[in-house]
Amino acid sequence: MTSSAPFRRFAFAFGTTFAVLYVVALAKDLALFTVFPSLGIVLAGTHHSRDIADPAMGFLAPAMYWYGWAATAALGALIVALVAASFAERLARYVWPGWIWVIPVLSMIACVYLTLPWFRL
Amino acid sequence: MVAVALLGAITHQTLAAWGPADARPGSFFGRFRSIRPASFANAVVVLYAVSTLLGGIIYLTFRVDVRPELERASHWHVLGFFDLKEHFVAIGLALLPAYWVCWRPPLANEPPQTRTALTSILAFIIWWGFLCGHVANNIMGFGS
Repeated sequence: MTSSAPFRRFAFAFGTTFAVLYVVALAKDLALFTVFPSLGIVLAGTHHSRDIADPAMGFLAPAMYWYGWAATAALGALIVALVAASFAERLARYVWPGWIWVIPVLSMIACVYLTLPWFRL
Repeated sequence: MVAVALLGAITHQTLAAWGPADARPGSFFGRFRSIRPASFANAVVVLYAVSTLLGGIIYLTFRVDVRPELERASHWHVLGFFDLKEHFVAIGLALLPAYWVCWRPPLANEPPQTRTALTSILAFIIWWGFLCGHVANNIMGFGS
C-alpha cells in the first residue's frame, strides 16, 4: 500500500526538494525557529544571539539554527511532495529517477562549500 | 548501541549492493549476498531515525557545554566537520522514504543504480557522522 505510485512520488519529491531547500535555508539563514538551549527558549524565525544580548555576552545565549533550517526545508518539501503525490502522475514519467541521488549529492557538496569558512580560521 | 547497529546494517547492505551478483557462494561477497540486502532496509530506517532523534537531544548539551570549549581551544576544523555532519544527517533523514521505497519488494520496480546510490549516500553519511561524532567527543577528553 505504502509503496504505491503516489507514495513513491511523495518520497522521491520529498528527498530531492528537502536537499535543495536545506541548502537554501542554510545559505540564506532561513530558520523556521531558533533554539536558545541555555535559556530554554524557542523563538519563531531566525534570531541571532546579538539580537537578544549584548554582543560581548553572546556566548551566554548560544543560538541553534539546525533544527530551524531542517524544519524550513521539511515544510517546503512536504508541500511539494504532497503536490507531487496528488497531481504529478503524468509528469513523473518524464522525471529521471536518478535525480533522487544526484541532487542530494550536489546539496552535500554545496554544504561543504558553505562550511569552508570554518577551515580558513 | 543504536549507532553501532546502524553502522553494521548499512555497511553490510552497501557491500552487498556493490558486490558482484555472481560471487562464489563461499567467498567474502558470496556470504554477504547470502543474506538479502532488502531485509536491512526497515532496520536502517528505524535505527537512522532513532539515532537522529537521540543525536538531536544530545546536541543541545553539546552546544551549551562542549562547543564553547572547542571554540576556546580553536578546534575550528573539528567544528567544521561537525557542522557538515549536521547538514549531511538532515539530508539523509529526508532520503529515508525514497531509500525505503527502493528496497521494497519487488526490487525490479526500481532501477538498481538508484537503490545502490541511495544506500551508498546513507552509508557515507552514517560513517561520517559516526567518525565526526567520535572525534568531537574525544578530542579534548570529553566523557573520559
